Amino acid sequence: MAAAVPTPSTQPSLRDLLDMEKMTLSSKTREAQSSNERWMRYLGFPGGILLFLAILYLPAGAGASASAQAGAACFALALVWWVTEPFPTYVTSLVLMFLLLVTRTSNAKAIMDVLGMEVIWLNLLAFILSSMLVKTRLAKRMALWLVLRFGHKASWALLAFVVLQLVLAPLIPATAARCVMTLPLMIVVATIYGSTEATPNNFGKNMMLLNLGCISVLSSVTMTGSSANLIAVGLIQNMGGHRVYYMDWMMLGAPVAIVTMLLMWILGQKLLFRIKPEEQVPQLEGGLGLVREQYESMGALSFQEKKAIAIFGMVLFLWMTDIFHMRWFGVEISAPFAALLGAVVVLFPRWGILSWAEADIPWHLLIFSAGAYAGGLALDDTGAAEWGVRMLFGGMNLRGVPFGFTYTVVIAVMMYSHLLTTSKTVRTLIMIPIIITMAKALGWNPVSLALPAALCIDWVVGLPISGKPNVILFSTNQFTVGDNFKHGMLTCTIGVIILVLSGATWFHWLGITPAFWAVAP
Amino acid sequence: MRSLRLGAALLAASALALATELPSYQVRLTAARDGSGQAMATVLVGHCPAGLLVLPLGFSAPEDLKLEEAPPGTRLELGARDTVSSLRFQLQAPIEAPVALRFSFRVKQVLQALKTAPGEKGALPAGSRLFRHGFVNTQETPISLYRLEFQFPEDLIAQAVREQLPKLEKQETGPRVLLSALEGRQAATLTYANVHQGDATSMAVELVPRQRSLVWLIAGVTLAGLYLFHFRDLVAKKAS
Repeated sequence: MAAAVPTPSTQPSLRDLLDMEKMTLSSKTREAQSSNERWMRYLGFPGGILLFLAILYLPAGAGASASAQAGAACFALALVWWVTEPFPTYVTSLVLMFLLLVTRTSNAKAIMDVLGMEVIWLNLLAFILSSMLVKTRLAKRMALWLVLRFGHKASWALLAFVVLQLVLAPLIPATAARCVMTLPLMIVVATIYGSTEATPNNFGKNMMLLNLGCISVLSSVTMTGSSANLIAVGLIQNMGGHRVYYMDWMMLGAPVAIVTMLLMWILGQKLLFRIKPEEQVPQLEGGLGLVREQYESMGALSFQEKKAIAIFGMVLFLWMTDIFHMRWFGVEISAPFAALLGAVVVLFPRWGILSWAEADIPWHLLIFSAGAYAGGLALDDTGAAEWGVRMLFGGMNLRGVPFGFTYTVVIAVMMYSHLLTTSKTVRTLIMIPIIITMAKALGWNPVSLALPAALCIDWVVGLPISGKPNVILFSTNQFTVGDNFKHGMLTCTIGVIILVLSGATWFHWLGITPAFWAVAP
Repeated sequence: MRSLRLGAALLAASALALATELPSYQVRLTAARDGSGQAMATVLVGHCPAGLLVLPLGFSAPEDLKLEEAPPGTRLELGARDTVSSLRFQLQAPIEAPVALRFSFRVKQVLQALKTAPGEKGALPAGSRLFRHGFVNTQETPISLYRLEFQFPEDLIAQAVREQLPKLEKQETGPRVLLSALEGRQAATLTYANVHQGDATSMAVELVPRQRSLVWLIAGVTLAGLYLFHFRDLVAKKAS
């Protein structure tokens, strides 16, 4: 295979790139790359302020409180700034937290408490475990193996991750845990294809965003893929009077999720972030030959690597067996606490692997996450998100229209509503009862709308704040908020199209949906 | 003998409660600018024997209580002084088909302005008012649906719903307190279904002036202008 050989003067050597112990997750502002980006930064600041003022001074809808309106204004401002980046994202988060307080959207305690949330803890502990895999060179070994096995072309390396996430999804319900496990592999493989935090390229964007999509979307393959799925199943049973069985869900959810992610595997690299033919091979002097040489030079597994495997295995075991914890231990060890136990062993003097100073914890990203979550929670707590959804459904007269139209509206609203909230559970609790009630009022079987809508619960891929894996992967600095939005929106749009096509055919044949042109009596 | 009499009285009371049906109890409270409120309540009685019907009332000091609509001969009075939050309907004949008992009353002050002593930390900003309402079913007869619609004064809107209790049950679709428009004004509606004896529901809504301060507009425009001026080098063409 003819590998493109980059010039030695401009490309770092494989040894340099894989010397990850020296790498830290930088808090430096990324330089604007093009004239467009510079203009976005320049206009993004006043643009965010104008949007804030427009929402704040608009006559409020009667169903929204003043704090909901202020919360929406603050969140819109932050969203514009996160996308256009006039400041680093964590500064925007700090501004957002201050605005939430002074506009009386949230109180000080609610804002500050966000830094103690489960997702922030999981993030912090994930970085300690990641540092262990990097320091012991286990991540490097696994990534080199993965590249040697599947990485003759960048496309196949990406596909290998799709398969990996598909296998892990039913085994580990916690999306953040799956993300933490595979993150070091993603970083090292991206590095081999020339994408680092300092010089991210399209392979890195594809790698991170495709994995993000897979981690989230493939959770909808099974109804145990996330706790929000189970809540939806409960609501459908209690309110809609229809029991959803494991296989019912899987027959509907699996084809939609898998086909979407395979399409995104192709479209990501061919359309959104094009990987040129010359970038399809490892972007390193020496190509795959050098990768093989590096792999062989690592020799047999070291004692430290074995220790890392044991520690990670223990954490993984706890993540995978969480449903048995109560029976075994009398207490449930949730994903962050399993990671916490792992971190204790990793940091244990003499027996451990790392000292605190060696753990690369990017505090700026935790601050970014905290601000983003504070904004998202404010939308939930003030009722702004719920009001938006009610307005959307209430503003449309769906009585007497064919089922297919109502179905398409419900699926689209459910899919894109994840942009308004940071919690799948909250979104499920708001949306599914509304959809069931609406279905009953319109004369449709609640399950025909609620179950397909429930399949969208896990598709939280639009923004770095939309879910826990999003926050973790954004920390790699390999993609911008705008990249995430583009990739996420395409994923969701494909999902909507496939769900609509499935609703008209596959779901109808399974007896879930009526004919698309049917009109309720 | 005494315990026998007490038992018989309890049995009679239970039988009366079992025989009585209250499908709904709805109150619409309209607040005026001066903070007073006028309420109109409608209790739908599905079935009730003749005699005394006692209903709880979620307001501690109602004034000008007036029966607006009821079967002929019905009388209404407030409960005894120490149990002022109850109403006593004296029904002349049994009710066998759904009938509305409609009554009105005035509440002197529905909105509270929290006053702070000098040196004390304020709980609410100037101009904010708080509306609180609590309802407890003190009687044996369950109420299928309790609803309070509180219509705000024209110049006030809800800043936030500060309390809405009890928490929603699994089968309930939320929220407990819904903001909406009622005759051109903003209103908050508290809804609670299947209110059994001892069950309580409450809401607290903070109200603020409808007109927002212009400080945000002035500060925002100034800041945006300053940024555009001071950061113009971001898009300035660099000399080659």
